[in-house]
Amino acid sequence: MSQEKKISVRETVYKKNDDLAEEIRKNMKNKGKLFFNIMGSIGAGKTLLLENLAVKLSTHYRVFVINGDIATTIDADRIAKHGVKTVQINTGGGCHLNANLIAKELEKINIDDFDIFFTENVGNLICPAAWDVGAQMNIVVVSITEGEYVVKKHPIIFKDAEIAIINKCDLDGLGFDSQVLEEDASKIKSGMKVICTSAKTGQGIDDFIEALGIEIPRDE
Amino acid sequence: MHEFSLASAIVEQVKEIIEEHKAIRVKKISISAGPYELIIPDLLQDSFKIITDELEKFRESVLELIRKPARITCLECDYNGEPDSEGDEEFAFNFKCPECGSRDTHIDRSYLTIESVDLELPS
Ligand SMILES: Nc1nc2c(ncn2[C@@H]2O[C@H](COP(=O)(O)OP(=O)(O)O)[C@@H](O)[C@H]2O)c(=O)[nH]1
Ligand SMILES: [Mg+2]
Ligand SMILES: [Zn+2]
Repeated sequence: MSQEKKISVRETVYKKNDDLAEEIRKNMKNKGKLFFNIMGSIGAGKTLLLENLAVKLSTHYRVFVINGDIATTIDADRIAKHGVKTVQINTGGGCHLNANLIAKELEKINIDDFDIFFTENVGNLICPAAWDVGAQMNIVVVSITEGEYVVKKHPIIFKDAEIAIINKCDLDGLGFDSQVLEEDASKIKSGMKVICTSAKTGQGIDDFIEALGIEIPRDE
Repeated sequence: MHEFSLASAIVEQVKEIIEEHKAIRVKKISISAGPYELIIPDLLQDSFKIITDELEKFRESVLELIRKPARITCLECDYNGEPDSEGDEEFAFNFKCPECGSRDTHIDRSYLTIESVDLELPS
């Protein structure tokens, strides 16, 4: 004979992830490190933006970039060319990074060897939103070639972001429009820092760095 | 696919509960989620079936999804409750304040929650 019992649980499925993410965030803060999570669709320009950041930041800071991708190390290799340390996490079909994947990578390095950490999350505007990676700031990248409705269709991911990057602004006016995306991103959250960039020409990269709160000492 | 990770997370968590109570199997898992979780129920059910297919402790387990209403807190006027019943004519998800019309709201993600589990226990 067996018996039946109803157990009340009332716990989110994210609890373990959230706890670990909080631990990562605290640890990084205590050590005075900066940690940013970059999210956005496939092809929005996350990697090329990170290449731009790598060029500008690597002269003054020790940068570590964690690339999330379904497979391949193409993105990590691209960014590593610019003098920063990169590692590729292959999620093997998983559509987002999570705190556990980040913690495992951080265990392999000495955190004190670096100043600024970035993740390039898996290209996706839905799944990464709910999975905290322990970053101090979330950034969402959309590009104007994704069409004028991309923010309207995927507003939820912006709710947890502090910076909205509207990328590929070099194509503005060439059949693409940055203005509506800027307006939409501002509507979702007041205080959202909305920045138009071009990872191709370098437009807006300095504003992006400023919004991240990173100072670049002026050259003498 | 977002539902597959969620189903895996549910199964992992329920495995621990089964262990803790030394249960023979789990008969039913009740979970709840709000609309901002963007869950497609069929995909969640399919993922759950695939993951638990070979698991004896999940034999004939039922996954019940309880839908929770959306809840927002307006950062303009402090309204707390369901979003504008008229919907949002512009955005794919409705988080607009019915009082002042602002979309600058904090959304209660009503994160996917395991509410309860029905266990079969040895007597
Ligand atoms: N014209 C233009 N092309 C860009 C820009 N940023 C990225 N691209 C191109 O868009 C494609 C995808 O960029 P990538 O950085 O790989 O996107 P990711 O998938 O978000 O990492 C590549 O061919 C880039 O060269 C930009 O600002 N302007
Ligand atoms: Mg990339
Ligand atoms: Zn309001």
